[in-house]
Amino acid sequence: MYEAVHAYPDGSATAARFAATAARTGYDGVVIRAREATPDYAAVREASDVDVVDAVEVVAPDPERASGAVGGLRPDHTLVCVRGGTDRLNRFAVENERVDVLTRPMAGEGDVNHVLANRAADNGVRIEFDLGPVLRTSGGERVRALRNLRKLRELVADADAPFVVSATPASHLELRAPRELLALGDVVGFDPETVRTGLREWGELAERNRHRGSESFVEPGVERGRHGR
Amino acid sequence: MKHLPKHLQPRWRYLAVGLEAWPDADVSRSGFQRAVWYAAGNLLGDPRSADADLRLLRFEFADGAGEAIVRARRGEVGPARAALACVSEVDGQPIGVHVRGVSGTIRACEERYLGRRAGVRAERRVVFENDRRRGYVRDDRVDVAGPKGFAGATELDLDSEST
Repeated sequence: MYEAVHAYPDGSATAARFAATAARTGYDGVVIRAREATPDYAAVREASDVDVVDAVEVVAPDPERASGAVGGLRPDHTLVCVRGGTDRLNRFAVENERVDVLTRPMAGEGDVNHVLANRAADNGVRIEFDLGPVLRTSGGERVRALRNLRKLRELVADADAPFVVSATPASHLELRAPRELLALGDVVGFDPETVRTGLREWGELAERNRHRGSESFVEPGVERGRHGR
Repeated sequence: MKHLPKHLQPRWRYLAVGLEAWPDADVSRSGFQRAVWYAAGNLLGDPRSADADLRLLRFEFADGAGEAIVRARRGEVGPARAALACVSEVDGQPIGVHVRGVSGTIRACEERYLGRRAGVRAERRVVFENDRRRGYVRDDRVDVAGPKGFAGATELDLDSEST
């Protein structure tokens, strides 16, 4: 299982510290959803016991600027995420096959409906269930977050859209072990299998994209190599 | 009152919890206990937090790291884990909480999961982001003091002193 984290300077722990903490708490890898962060991935992978995935999170005020950023960053990173949070950004992300993950779709004024969920399913854009507010807020804010999660869960299940789960930690102190997230999911109405699938999905996405980026890959179903495999 | 016959006594599970915080954090036993109760009350509601019946039995915290044993009723370990995950700060100080394991007796819990707190913390000058800073080092983990609070790092992130 993987967790997608905000590493220094986006958050307050470096990629290496996240990797060390994730290894201790039972993860197989961490996804560095970087905005400003530029860790030395090779060195961090070398020094830690878990996989470290090179990802970016595009945070833009509108789809026009997000589109430019996605195009520019796509070739250089394993995963490209777009942060949602407005209806236009959510729509942009789910309609764009180059985007791997739509993060925090329900944050702020963002909303998702059956149309967007279906588009996400068609384009293979993963929708993120953000457990962060459930872990770190209380009162009305948490109630809203839980209500949004429930709505999103029902839409994603109905459209059979792909999804990921994350607690969006911004420091090693905010990182929670996979078993804790499964238990939390159970309490707030997620099927434990759903949370597990969502945490694994990060790793599977990374593997798929690394394979696609490898030399032997031409297009889905077409690869260079020896016959008879 | 006379104590209950054995088959009516509640059965407990003991959760060994590892704690981590920034080097300047001062986390008290009562503060952590309160945070656990609030987390359980807020997440699970009164009926289920009464079912889980969480209680802090052991607590030790010094120099930004610690460990604890939290008791929960047998069969309520899942909700207890979820409630502990929601403890994100104690008295306004961010805290990392990690359940190391669950045992059926306090002794087993102590022997198996506690007492392996990370090594002694040392303080030294470090170079981080081309800047000389105060670092709090434990094993290969380093918390670096900075103008905007601490940053969690490892030895790998430090630059060599010679520059």
